[in-house]
Amino acid sequence: MRSQIERIAPGSETFICNGLPVTFVDCAPDELQNVCERLTAELGYRFATLVVEEAHCDWQLGYIFCGGHDLQGGLVRVSLKASGARPIIPSISAIVHAADWHEREAEDLFGLVFEGHPKLGDFVLHEHTPEGINPMRSDFDPAAELPSEDICPWRPGRIVQTPGAFAMPIGPVYSDFAESAHFLLETVGEDVIRVIPRFFYKYRGLEKLAEGRRVEDVLLLAERFSGTSAFAHSLAFCQAVESICEAKLPARAPALRTFFAELERFRYHVGVIADICGSTALAVATSQAAILEEELLRLCCKYAGHRYLFGLNIPGGLSLNVEDEACRVLTGEVGSIAKRLVDLMEMLRFSSSFLDRLEQVGAIAKKDATDYGLVGPIARASGVVRDLRIALPYAAYGKDSLSFSAPGEEEGDGYARLRVFFNEAMQSVEIMRQIAESLPPGEVRVPRFDIKGGVSLGWAEAPCGAAFHWIRVRNDGRVARYRVTPPSFTNWHGFHLAAENFAFQDFPIIMATFGLSNAECDR
Amino acid sequence: MSKWVWKGLRTGKKSSHYPDAPETAAGVSPGMPLTETGALPLEFCPFPVGEIEGSPDESKTDIRDCVHCFRCVRSSSDRVKWQEGYEWASEKDADAKGHSRQLGASFSHSLNIRMIDAGACGACISEVKQIAKPCYSIHRLGFFITPTPRHADVLLVVGPVTDNMVFPLKKAYEAMPTPKVVVAAGTCALTGGLFGPGFACGAGVSDFIPVDVEVPGCPPPPLAIIHALLVAVGRKPPFSGQKPSISERKAL
Amino acid sequence: MEPYVFFLLFFALCGLGIVLSAAVDDRHASAIPAWISSPAAVCLLIAAGGILLSGHTLHIELWSLPYLGQLSITADRISALFIFVAGLVYLPVSIYSSEYMKKYRGRYSLKSFSIFYHLLFASIVTVFLAGDVVLFLIGWEAMSILAYLLVSYEHEHEENVQAGYLMLAMSEVGTLAVIIGFLVLGASAGSLGFDSIRAAGVNLTDSVRWAVFLLTFLGFGVKAGLVPVSSWLPRAHPVAPGNVSAILSGVILNLGIYGIVRVNGDLLPVASAGAGLVVLIVGAVSALVGILYATTDNDLKKMLAHSSIENMGIVTVSLGAAFLYKIYNHPDLAGIALIVAFYHMANHSIYKSLLFLGAGAVDNQAGSRNMNLLGGLIRKMPYTAFFFLVGALSIAALPPLNGFVSEWLTLQVLLQSAVLSAKGVKTAFVLCGAGLALTAGLAVTCFVKAFAMNFLGTARSRAAQKAVEIGAAMKASMGWLAVLCLLLGILPTYVIPVLNRTVSPLVHTSVVNELVPPFFTIKKQNAQFSKAFVSGFHDLGAQVGRSILPGRGLVVLHQGAARNPVVFAMSTAYTLVVLVLLIGGAFLLTSLLARKRTLTRRPAWDGGLRRLFADMTYTATGFSNPVRVVFDAIFRPTTVENAGETVAQHFRTAIGGDRYEIHVVDRAVYRPTTRCMLWLANRVSRIHVGKINTYAAYVLGTLLLFFLINWVW
Repeated sequence: MRSQIERIAPGSETFICNGLPVTFVDCAPDELQNVCERLTAELGYRFATLVVEEAHCDWQLGYIFCGGHDLQGGLVRVSLKASGARPIIPSISAIVHAADWHEREAEDLFGLVFEGHPKLGDFVLHEHTPEGINPMRSDFDPAAELPSEDICPWRPGRIVQTPGAFAMPIGPVYSDFAESAHFLLETVGEDVIRVIPRFFYKYRGLEKLAEGRRVEDVLLLAERFSGTSAFAHSLAFCQAVESICEAKLPARAPALRTFFAELERFRYHVGVIADICGSTALAVATSQAAILEEELLRLCCKYAGHRYLFGLNIPGGLSLNVEDEACRVLTGEVGSIAKRLVDLMEMLRFSSSFLDRLEQVGAIAKKDATDYGLVGPIARASGVVRDLRIALPYAAYGKDSLSFSAPGEEEGDGYARLRVFFNEAMQSVEIMRQIAESLPPGEVRVPRFDIKGGVSLGWAEAPCGAAFHWIRVRNDGRVARYRVTPPSFTNWHGFHLAAENFAFQDFPIIMATFGLSNAECDR
Repeated sequence: MSKWVWKGLRTGKKSSHYPDAPETAAGVSPGMPLTETGALPLEFCPFPVGEIEGSPDESKTDIRDCVHCFRCVRSSSDRVKWQEGYEWASEKDADAKGHSRQLGASFSHSLNIRMIDAGACGACISEVKQIAKPCYSIHRLGFFITPTPRHADVLLVVGPVTDNMVFPLKKAYEAMPTPKVVVAAGTCALTGGLFGPGFACGAGVSDFIPVDVEVPGCPPPPLAIIHALLVAVGRKPPFSGQKPSISERKAL
Repeated sequence: MEPYVFFLLFFALCGLGIVLSAAVDDRHASAIPAWISSPAAVCLLIAAGGILLSGHTLHIELWSLPYLGQLSITADRISALFIFVAGLVYLPVSIYSSEYMKKYRGRYSLKSFSIFYHLLFASIVTVFLAGDVVLFLIGWEAMSILAYLLVSYEHEHEENVQAGYLMLAMSEVGTLAVIIGFLVLGASAGSLGFDSIRAAGVNLTDSVRWAVFLLTFLGFGVKAGLVPVSSWLPRAHPVAPGNVSAILSGVILNLGIYGIVRVNGDLLPVASAGAGLVVLIVGAVSALVGILYATTDNDLKKMLAHSSIENMGIVTVSLGAAFLYKIYNHPDLAGIALIVAFYHMANHSIYKSLLFLGAGAVDNQAGSRNMNLLGGLIRKMPYTAFFFLVGALSIAALPPLNGFVSEWLTLQVLLQSAVLSAKGVKTAFVLCGAGLALTAGLAVTCFVKAFAMNFLGTARSRAAQKAVEIGAAMKASMGWLAVLCLLLGILPTYVIPVLNRTVSPLVHTSVVNELVPPFFTIKKQNAQFSKAFVSGFHDLGAQVGRSILPGRGLVVLHQGAARNPVVFAMSTAYTLVVLVLLIGGAFLLTSLLARKRTLTRRPAWDGGLRRLFADMTYTATGFSNPVRVVFDAIFRPTTVENAGETVAQHFRTAIGGDRYEIHVVDRAVYRPTTRCMLWLANRVSRIHVGKINTYAAYVLGTLLLFFLINWVW
């Protein structure tokens, strides 16, 4: 693999970091598209994230790729340097489509110009922020007054040109409990032809807020920007910090982290199953799944102190040492919940009215899933079986004693996604059982954790897919730049693939089978 | 389809008896840290995040700011008491004259609620979702979730109010018929939490629309949200701060 | 005064109109229809009304032409009814024209419009009045040509000229068929007078009867716009000026019905069940095809044209039912069916001309007929919107308006087929009834769409935003038609006796007591009804109003015979009373309850968007798309997917895509015919060898052939 990358990009350097090969490629602007294309097309690397750093008009762009065909490729960082107030960067979105939203985001927040990208403009910052104001730049003045009058409402270019076509707006305030987001469905009636999603209604400026804060304060942000997958994100963040500080964790910490990450995944997936049942108006099944979800929340609170596992992860381990006995009891209780989930799924499998709404609805082809770089259960339901727990093992996942696999399906439709969610939930229970049986004794945190300066990438397979947390810490222990690529951001990008060419009434169902979080996407 | 009916009947009643009887099941609420004075133990509290200019002002850092980081209680201090319970909702300062704080008797058993997600992290939304699910089932109280503010008596706002949600929030508030009550749920909605005030966020809901009932917590557990709704219609007294039975239990 | 005086006055006024139009300056010619045609229409109403009420047939012998025989005028009640309806339509349309035609000032000749308009009016009346074949055909041909001239009035557009040509060509094919049919009849009768044809009809053989039926049904079917010879209608209507469309749908289509009734009902009554079934099924198919295309068409006037096909189909179904009931010896049901046919025809004339006038107003003020570009006009044009709504409710057959009465009766007439013994015919009735029920359902969808997409919501184009209300003349004419819609709706008990007198000569029986029982004058011991029945209706209050209102009552009721004791009854008048009470009561109640409350108005909730744009509202295409999807097998569209501009594989900046439909009739009838003709022509063209000897041989051969035929004959 190393030689292959060498062939594509001469002068690249490879290091082994925590047992993983990490390759650094310095790239000239005119070479960028070529390198990225060959990395993805020939070597099977998957685009992970785009990290933009700016210091007084000196720009450093890092295109991070992970994976590779044989899952042994580790990570590749393609670096690009640029200078100037608004440098022009060649867009790779047409070649590596997964980078589309990353480039749009960078354009909106940094004022970079991506040459060749057809859809730049209104993305993160909505109409009340004039073009030219880019909050992530170092010269951004947060106190500057924004114009409050004469705001021109957002109006995307209509793509469907068929006579009589119209756009059906949904949101941002819609449905009973929906998270804020807007969907403009272009249609000529009955079938949705084009979905124009609009996110970042919930943009809280996570990455900007993190700048200059202490690492332990940024942890709170990392944990709370997406409450339903808090543990996975705090885990990824903590791992990034620990990798910078070269902390040696006691063996119990990664095991317990894995244990709680799987507990969170189980809870999350049960919640998604409840939402899928709810979207098809199957009231009893919704209630059943919701009862299971609430019981899991109560278990989390009972054994870990918080219903959403807040405050558990800290750099250097866990803030709470859950006893072996408690873990076993908890596993037992989760096991009984899993049994009831199996019963529920058995009943769902034989409810034709339920299956009719899911089967062959919202299908995503494998090729599209690959091109869009989809992650998590959605990609796995379309046959792209990629899981960071296996591809880039972290915590206790790499241990030989732990045996598990990533469940995959081929159809890519709503039912396939439901099955993946269910199978993963069951897998999580199995992982929890294995860990509870062989918990290493001892402490769960390093006695003393010293923050150092440095750069690192942390990752975790969050409930809805791969999450990447890239962080640069200054020598004084404060964060210089923090970049989060949550799985919902990656997957919402491909959502329109599933919703297009299906009827209006399928739209909420397709959305439920995605099981994504807008808070996680919007940051 | 009959199998589903049978399944539902077999499951039996799962709903909490709150407010007729206190809910005692383990794990319904993470509890709340509290010193004897009712303020958060500031020396361990990372809130407000970063340095605090000048001397710490204890009166400003109260239960409304708590983000459930557990740092106070998992450190080695004896000053922190852990308070179980969930009846945290309080009425917002009553100095705005002429504005009815409560909806009145005609709404006490018939209330329509519209939730607005003004940038919440998802945990608050998940907890609000739970109040309409079997375990808490607000329908037994005569409370209902409505998809449009046109039919809503209560606007239940979660999240710190991001800049992009200010307009929809105000529009939804204006679209509601009178009388109307706004319940702000969660630390973010009360003070902006970790995220606000910032360049993309406000410092809570009350900066944009008048708030009547506040419920702290990160996230406030379902029972706390139900308590807030009961306070809004006058079926429960608000949290006073003096009365809580501070449990002696030091956390874990 | 005698009716003929008014007919004379009518023709004199038409002549005056033509002369005046030729004389005055072009700028003032637009006012002539209002000042000349409307009095002429009033004359017609008086004359025809006189004949309808008195029953005196007007018969005037005109000149005798060499070879062609005597020209004569005969105005019986059937003619009078059609003339009366024509008058009802012409009166408001003439007034409307004076304002509407102003828009053509300086662009097209108003003079020629006015001349054609009066000539057309005169020729239409001539057709109705003709008492012999020659005068009938003269009037018919003049009418066809003048209609063509008026339809292609805006002749500067290529599309308009083509539509006009198609209309003329199809009309001429129809005329040809009618002429042959008449010649066959005249040959057997030895004269071209209607009276002698009627007398000679009984001697004709079945095959000749069939031939005459098929030829004339085809010929008149073209004019009535029946499937499969309806193709000209949806093309001609959108290109014609609004007022001409109203005449086209309100009067000229009736000529087709008149022809069918005159020839197949009067001169040579249909005697075989097969012919009756043809009429019935053609009618039902027309209705269904018409409404399907009406529901999915987005051009306002095209949509109305398709709906005309539907309504003519419904009339034809009733006619077919009447023929069949008569053949199977149920004269009372045949009478009811004919009454229903005439009722529906009259209703259609009224509401369709109202809708076309409304469409003309919309087209004029909002600059488009494309419903995807209209919307929100109710705030700009409240009067037009209200009158259009009345028309739309009528045509959607909602009580208490006139469309409801006739469509309800049509369905009831079809349900009465239980009395028939022939299984096959019964099945046909049932299927046609089901088809009509579907049609009625789709009609509601269609006109909900028509009203909502034009008048409700937000304007979807700049022109629609700037629309202004129409002037007084247009308002008055539409108002008059709207009032007629209501009157014909709530007073069927007064209309039916008049129609009954018209149809009784055709079915030789009177059905007025069968359909409109004399409730106001009923005695408890009236022999026609059983005692219990009468007292029951007495208790129900069927006689309410007997002291105020003259006449037979306000309830339409039919009691089936012993074999089929199905009773149907309805009263739109009482429905109106109940509706007024309910709506008024609800209004009073709400205003009483809201008396002490302040009313706040807020814009519609849009999910928190900054602003709802016009292109975020349903379009006509979107509204009718479910119908398109459900009836995909009939529409069979060719969709052209156009990937549009694509930057890269996943960046599509435009998704085009268009949908082309070939009308099911064109697909099923005209395309195979064309292909067949081309094939034949190809074969025949092989005789062109280019040698003069061969052509000489052809000439010789043809001559020999003729000699041979002559010799054999």
